[in-house]
Amino acid sequence: MRVLSTLFAISLNTFREAVRNKVLYSLLFFAVVVIVGSLAFGALSVAEEARLTTDLGLAGMSLFSVIIAIFVGVNLVYKELERKTVYSIIPKPVHRYQFVVGKFFGMMITLAVQLAVMTAVLLVVLGLQGAPLGGAVPKMIVLILFEVMVVTAVAVFFSSFSTPFLSGLFTAGVFVVGRSVPDIQRAAGKIQHTGLGALLKTVTRVVPDLRFFYVSGAETALGHVSVHGAFPDWGYVATAGGYAVLYATLALMLASLLFSRRDFV
Amino acid sequence: MSGESVPALLTEHLAKTYVLGFFRRKVRAITDVTLRVEPGEIFGLLGPNGAGKTTTLKVLLGLVRRSSGAAELLGRPVGDIRAKRRLGYLPESPYFYDYLTGRELLTFMAKLFGLSRAEGRRRAEQLLGRVGLSGSAGLALRRYSKGMLQRIGIAQALINDPELVILDEPLTGLDPLGRKDLRELIAELRGQGKTVVLSSHILSDVELLADRVAIIVKGRTVNTGPLTELLDARVVSTEVVVAGAEEGLASALSDGGHGVQRIGDAVRITISGEGEIDAVIDRVRREGASVQSVTPRKESLEDLVVRMTREAE
Repeated sequence: MRVLSTLFAISLNTFREAVRNKVLYSLLFFAVVVIVGSLAFGALSVAEEARLTTDLGLAGMSLFSVIIAIFVGVNLVYKELERKTVYSIIPKPVHRYQFVVGKFFGMMITLAVQLAVMTAVLLVVLGLQGAPLGGAVPKMIVLILFEVMVVTAVAVFFSSFSTPFLSGLFTAGVFVVGRSVPDIQRAAGKIQHTGLGALLKTVTRVVPDLRFFYVSGAETALGHVSVHGAFPDWGYVATAGGYAVLYATLALMLASLLFSRRDFV
Repeated sequence: MSGESVPALLTEHLAKTYVLGFFRRKVRAITDVTLRVEPGEIFGLLGPNGAGKTTTLKVLLGLVRRSSGAAELLGRPVGDIRAKRRLGYLPESPYFYDYLTGRELLTFMAKLFGLSRAEGRRRAEQLLGRVGLSGSAGLALRRYSKGMLQRIGIAQALINDPELVILDEPLTGLDPLGRKDLRELIAELRGQGKTVVLSSHILSDVELLADRVAIIVKGRTVNTGPLTELLDARVVSTEVVVAGAEEGLASALSDGGHGVQRIGDAVRITISGEGEIDAVIDRVRREGASVQSVTPRKESLEDLVVRMTREAE
């Protein structure tokens, strides 16, 4: 129980920090502007306005959640070292892994709340357009949360041994590559007997497959996937969640290991 | 071993070498620190800047890993969670989450110790009152002055009612009243049977508080013991304050190898040898000046640290 209460205390404190951070409000404001702005784009396309609003809204929510995850995630641990606040926490009865995992959970609470706010705005916008809410939208939002979980864990991993600038670059790189895993796999298949082919294959095995989460618009074994048409069921969402939890756990274990070996000079 | 109490803090030949930068440059911060602090005592950790005091404390608190040697807190190896539960620590120049209020910081720290919400709040209010911050408890820490941050730092170090309190430069940033308050608080802790380890460069305060001290120079403990044993009991110099001394007299005494310092209309003469006191006083009187005071000076803690540092160098 004590392990959990310590984790909860650190998570709550991280959430409190985010709530009092003005920069995050700016990012959330921009995300809301994009979602509301999709109304204007929707108006340009008379027959498809709800469809366009949904697409732009979900894309905006995904993009801004990832930006927030990278921006805050890479600073999560580093800021504690930079501001020396870690000096007053580590001598307390706190394991170093609890510190890393607690910070991560706090960040996830923050991202979930922000996603909830963006979802509420999207639902209001869709309601104003009188669009029916399909079952695919809630699934897509849950998948966005899972994707953000993986990106945050990757950001925390890099920030456990690198500067925020480099961690940001690495995490953004992982995000771009992760979203392109099926394309890279196809390219690797075409040049499989070359060194580059082997390298690309290795990269796709290490980097998280983020197309697993952002499936709308993708061609899968089920055919063309779209929030407006055929969309995977909740079983798929649960599998994706399992993958996200597994990948995030591995990334956090590595981050905790690196963090536990650090000297706070 | 039977009959011996478990030391509150123990290090044996503790050493730490930092490996820094891309080229893995090695910097030896401490080379041989051996300390034994008994339960219930106030222990001063002294030494010049860069001697290794803070690194020693960081090893003990699990902030840096030791390179060699042994270190224990309350009979348990460094980093043991059970020992940490009985420990309070004030870092040097404390940095806390500046978006929290003083009260929020204390209740957050209480949660890390597993205190219930009600107990955490009770302890927080009690300590806020004790360090004189009840009126500023709802203010964000970013609005606190340096002295207020030091006070809230002391409060958070005591939130778990610890058996062992480690204070790294606790008097820094405090005004004279704050220093007096803190001295009283440390004396109270001693009265409650707690062990206090005090690292400070404000030696006059340590001299007033500490039962025993250790002096660290260049990463090594050069001396440890009770102040009464370490300080030289002999008179090391005598200060004679003289009024109405002409410039010629002051120059002559200075040329004679005595320390001469003008303070307003008076002149303070520091005489090193006991045999020369009468001669100086006779001369002062002959020249028409008057002796206002004669004060024998024994070795102070500051003198001791300076002496040890010079000897070690």
